[in-house]
Amino acid sequence: MNFVPNHTPFELSAERLRELALDYASSPIYLDNEEWENSDNPYRRQLRPQIIKHLDFSEPLAADQVLEYSALAANRLLAAIYETDLVFLPKKGFTEESYADFRTFYSATNRARGEMIRPSLERHVFGFLDDEVEVSGSWTKESLAAYLGKLAEQPDSPSASEKAVRGSSDPKRAARNWLIQMAPDFLSEASPMIRNVLGYYGPVQSEWFKVIIDEYGYGVHETKHSTLFEDTLTSVGLGADLHRYWQYYLTSSLALSNYFHYLGKNHEHFFRYLGALYYTETTLVPWCRRAADLLTEVFDGEADVRYFTEHVHIDTHHGRMALEKLILPIVDHCGESVIPEIVRGFEEFQVVNRIADEDFAAQVAWMDAGPENKRLHEPVWGKVEAGEVTAPVAHIVEPHGELSNTHQHDGDELCHIVSGTMKFVSGYDSHQILEAGQGTVIWRNRLHGAIIESDECVYEIHSVGDYRACLS
Amino acid sequence: MLVLTFAASGVGNCAEVGGVPYVYARTGRGAFVAPARCSHRGGPLHLATIDASGNRLLCPWHDQPTSMTRLLRKGIPAVRSGNRVTAVFAVAADTEVVTSHRPLSPDLCSARRAG
Repeated sequence: MNFVPNHTPFELSAERLRELALDYASSPIYLDNEEWENSDNPYRRQLRPQIIKHLDFSEPLAADQVLEYSALAANRLLAAIYETDLVFLPKKGFTEESYADFRTFYSATNRARGEMIRPSLERHVFGFLDDEVEVSGSWTKESLAAYLGKLAEQPDSPSASEKAVRGSSDPKRAARNWLIQMAPDFLSEASPMIRNVLGYYGPVQSEWFKVIIDEYGYGVHETKHSTLFEDTLTSVGLGADLHRYWQYYLTSSLALSNYFHYLGKNHEHFFRYLGALYYTETTLVPWCRRAADLLTEVFDGEADVRYFTEHVHIDTHHGRMALEKLILPIVDHCGESVIPEIVRGFEEFQVVNRIADEDFAAQVAWMDAGPENKRLHEPVWGKVEAGEVTAPVAHIVEPHGELSNTHQHDGDELCHIVSGTMKFVSGYDSHQILEAGQGTVIWRNRLHGAIIESDECVYEIHSVGDYRACLS
Repeated sequence: MLVLTFAASGVGNCAEVGGVPYVYARTGRGAFVAPARCSHRGGPLHLATIDASGNRLLCPWHDQPTSMTRLLRKGIPAVRSGNRVTAVFAVAADTEVVTSHRPLSPDLCSARRAG
């Protein structure tokens, strides 16, 4: 009798997954940076491998956990993994270091290690959508068209992010941070989408290609959408080299960008991608109109908003094309059994988008609250010093120039400076200087980092859990 | 067609479409939009139990069975996102709609475990 091999699904134990994630993140290109920004080196991404041994990526995060540190770490890993499929070159050509990094980033070792952990990481950060969105019943082409058509009735009202920028104590800073959150998606715009036009599947493939031709400016580099976005960045004083602001990307901003890679990389989600595409192409029209107005207002007319005004025009067509040229024909071609996946993508993207919107608004509030959080150090520290609050504490001594690459904590913390000076950073162009005896409250799930400005700094991090409870 | 959004549970979890009440049921086999009124004598199907086979809803009035498989596979097309359900009813878009609250039996509010 012939030998019949036993086919089994690919799975990793929690321990093996952790080892492989650590192997991946330990590459020299993923170690901590000594600067806040990457400088014209698209291969450098800070993954903080020193923390990975403490994380468990083996189970899906719940909906209320998707902004925790584990999600930030996993989304950073995923962004690096997905982007080895894309070609990036430094704007100013190679230096000796960046050419070596280029080879490392695209090496078989980096790609193979990334592919080993990718499915588990995807399940970790996007698995919650299995519970969050559920499609049922018997869908027809007519019910799908009616359902998608309702999107046109959605009110054109400002998002939480837009309100946060407009209402910030420093709207320019908030707006720059907003643009930074768009960069991981917009600078390599349409790259995840292009994953769907490879292959061979009939007329819809050619129709989809037309959308991509628009995104790529018909081969005229000056009109490529990413070029327009670069102009927006530089017009407000930001750099446009890829992932310069890696350390300032929020968990949810990476998740938003990763979501489309996740769908585009895994072609079993092809139909889900179509639903998500329809939502994004349709809602981008009013969103871009409002974004153009907001940036013009905040930067007193100095912001180059052509990226946004271009989308106001072209996405009117793309929304229609997504429905009439892609979705309905693909249902005709493949049958109504694919509709639940289209519906699921349409809803899932809204969930991820809403999380990102609220996350950014919370980050603006966090940046704006810097002075108040510094002031709150005193009463919270008073409780700790008096022994009324006991919390796990880390005693840390760091030398001049030591940069704690950006991260976040799953609970509130109190930072107390024993000696020396720390520059505590809560976002791009957002910081507080903390001297001996001072400190700050650190909100849970809020991105931050620090750099030591004195010869040495001795400080304590008290994991208080909920700082407000310490004040009552 | 009428596209209607209502709550999966809690306040506003019952949509009366043209006088016919519907609720969103979540069972171990999956979720579906179910009529809240039994087709037999109008009993409260939202308080149904699931029979031993796991395939049928039993109305609390006369144990009249309703096929759950049919509701799952051939039922009203719907999608739940969080606690919000959007369903597409095969009636005129201007059909009168009223939302209210109906309690659900334990069998109809147990979420499917993600696999």
